[in-house]
Amino acid sequence: MNDHEMNEMKKLFKEALSPMRDAELGRDLWPLMLERLAAWPLRMPWWDWVLLAGAGATILFVPGVIPALLYHL
Amino acid sequence: MCKHPYLRAYLAGIAIPTAFLLAIMTAYTIDRYAYDMPVPIERVIVFPMAAVPNAWGLWNLVYVAFLQKRHVPLGLFGAALPLLLVPGGYLVARLLNFTIPPVAFHVAPIALPIALVVYYLVWKYFVGFLNAELGVA
Repeated sequence: MNDHEMNEMKKLFKEALSPMRDAELGRDLWPLMLERLAAWPLRMPWWDWVLLAGAGATILFVPGVIPALLYHL
Repeated sequence: MCKHPYLRAYLAGIAIPTAFLLAIMTAYTIDRYAYDMPVPIERVIVFPMAAVPNAWGLWNLVYVAFLQKRHVPLGLFGAALPLLLVPGGYLVARLLNFTIPPVAFHVAPIALPIALVVYYLVWKYFVGFLNAELGVA
């Protein structure tokens, strides 16, 4: 592709693609991102903690259940 | 994000067991071939490899399609899945002439409630998170 063809191609692209307007963001999104990162995403009720602790303790004291759990997970 | 919600629900459902399968397969392979574990797991590995992830995907699809609008808790619905998977796993093992180790029957009364709890927590938090991220929650 020579220079003339390249220039023609650029011209065609410029004609095909309209110039962007209002490309700047209306507001800064970074504070919102920081707010989302700082928010505690996981709120577990106390009974879920009890279930988790009970299941963990049972698996710890009865490790024979582990293969059966792995087979079905 | 409004296209193909059932496909996204299916993908959100299979994600957890598919990722977890890598750890299970690694452990089984090391036990079987490095430590000569005398249990021919490869005869029944098709169940955790194929049936379980697809069951999770279809279970999540059913939840999104029919139960989400009725405000059925995802954790409780997910906790019901072992009630199908456990008999299914037993049936597959029997059909493939896999000798179930006797210890499995001894720990079954403990393993089933633990499975229900684990499924409840995993579905409530992990599958629920994926459903929200994929826009089907």
